[in-house]
Amino acid sequence: MNLLEIEALDKHFGGLHAVRNVSFTVAKGEIVGILGPNGAGKTTLYNLLTGFIAADGGRIVFNGRELRGMVPHRIARLGISRTFQLCRPFVGMTVLENVIVGALGTAGVDRAGLDERARTLLASVGLAGKGSLGVDVLSYGDQRRLEIARALAAQPTLLLLDEPFAGLGSGEIADLAALIRRLHAEQGLTVILIEHKLREFMRLVQRVIVLDFGAVIAQGTPEQVVQHPAVIEAYVGRGNEAFLEHPDAA
Amino acid sequence: MFTGKRVDLAGAAAFVAMMAVLPLVFTSRYLIGVLTVSAIYGIWAVSWDFMSGLTGRENFGHSLFIGVGAYTAGFLNTLLGVSGWWGIPAAMAVAVVFALVIGLPTLRLKGPYFALAMLSGAVIMQRLMLIFWEQTGGEEGINGIEPLIRSQLGFYYFVLGALVVVTLVLLALARSHWGLVLRAIRGDEATCQAAGLNVTFYKIASLVISAACAGAGGAIYAHYQLQVSPQLFAVVTSITIITMVYVGGMASIYGPVGGAILLVLLTELLRNFGEWRLMIYSCTLILILFFLPNGLIAPTWQRIRSRLGRRT
Repeated sequence: MNLLEIEALDKHFGGLHAVRNVSFTVAKGEIVGILGPNGAGKTTLYNLLTGFIAADGGRIVFNGRELRGMVPHRIARLGISRTFQLCRPFVGMTVLENVIVGALGTAGVDRAGLDERARTLLASVGLAGKGSLGVDVLSYGDQRRLEIARALAAQPTLLLLDEPFAGLGSGEIADLAALIRRLHAEQGLTVILIEHKLREFMRLVQRVIVLDFGAVIAQGTPEQVVQHPAVIEAYVGRGNEAFLEHPDAA
Repeated sequence: MFTGKRVDLAGAAAFVAMMAVLPLVFTSRYLIGVLTVSAIYGIWAVSWDFMSGLTGRENFGHSLFIGVGAYTAGFLNTLLGVSGWWGIPAAMAVAVVFALVIGLPTLRLKGPYFALAMLSGAVIMQRLMLIFWEQTGGEEGINGIEPLIRSQLGFYYFVLGALVVVTLVLLALARSHWGLVLRAIRGDEATCQAAGLNVTFYKIASLVISAACAGAGGAIYAHYQLQVSPQLFAVVTSITIITMVYVGGMASIYGPVGGAILLVLLTELLRNFGEWRLMIYSCTLILILFFLPNGLIAPTWQRIRSRLGRRT
């Protein structure tokens, strides 16, 4: 069954057609990657999905419910959590408090066990023992982990990650990818991620949707997509085909 | 953790005891009056801090809630003979209505709209009190309000009790999950929304609580002065309260109580300096805010607390 169905989604910003006629579906339990050059409309797509900006046309159906016209906190309560491209921890609060806030918006959360659950989440993203630190002393990689822990605290069915690997070293990327894989395997979490770091990304995702100038130009498995002529031209540029012969080389 | 809590309790108890004993040691009507006013300012400062300090949405017109609270109690008492004990809850209700009228449209917006609406709300109300002078008494305001408690000392203890109750309730709220959300809103509204939190609701609800406390303080002030004037709505009242919060320590809730008492006492102590008073007062404030941008009271207490905690 499809968890998410996007149909003919459209968004203009003045003269810029940021998202044009985008349609795709995501099945329950999938890990889907969204690829595309800067300005292709990836983050705009997330903002449309989560209600932060209103679409001009089309449909977004999540779990059988139309999301268009809903305010962000209502969409979040239906089970969609997101992270932001730039880490946005709540400054002046501890790491643990950051995660607890992530859980407070979800109706029906058992508030008594919240501290304990937040600690377990921190341990699962590799931040065990850092709960009482202020967020300002965290390394960038730890801030990324915290973002994910906070998003998971809301117990989502769909997790939207916006460039989770940005600014991380290769060791940290491998750890984070392993975490996403584990969450997917253990909890059946559906994940969509936007990313530029091709190597880990291509290993992690099961299916890739490629955007360029706001439109879907290709869809398929990572292997299919990297050989698609339109993708090679849009994402890597002409003359760089050799670069993509082995996804690992990117 | 436990020792820290015990130190906090001991500190709070020592502070309340000192405030309660002071007028017994120095039996002067003047001192009791000053302490009463400082405790009322304390209520106003804590209530400002609960909304604006925690959420970071500055309110430049807290005097609006104070003024409507005071006028409500004044009208009820002088026109209808309603006792102040009913005037206080009525003042809270009216202040809440004003909070909703201003908060509902402006707190859902980003930008300075809320701060500006509060500021202009207070200015407009002050003007209206003068324009409808036949009903409101104009510059003279309302006179002949009955005292709440005949004994001056008794009234002081009532105000001190009210300050303690308001501070404890708001402190408990600020340290609960509710307060955590308010502080998160100060950090990043979009992230809160993405976590499923209705930030507009939280902001409006905290403004309502803040307004109710300020309105109660206004009614108490009316029954202390036995008189209400449009001057209560003045911008300078709001600015004084904000200064008290800054001196006390923003978002600490207990700090502003100390800030209010300190600044009211400072104003009184400086009376001996005559025309130099405002000059010295302002310079002291500038020095405090320049050298202690996080305030004076709350950071000092934190330092004492950690030193005591280490010893035990």
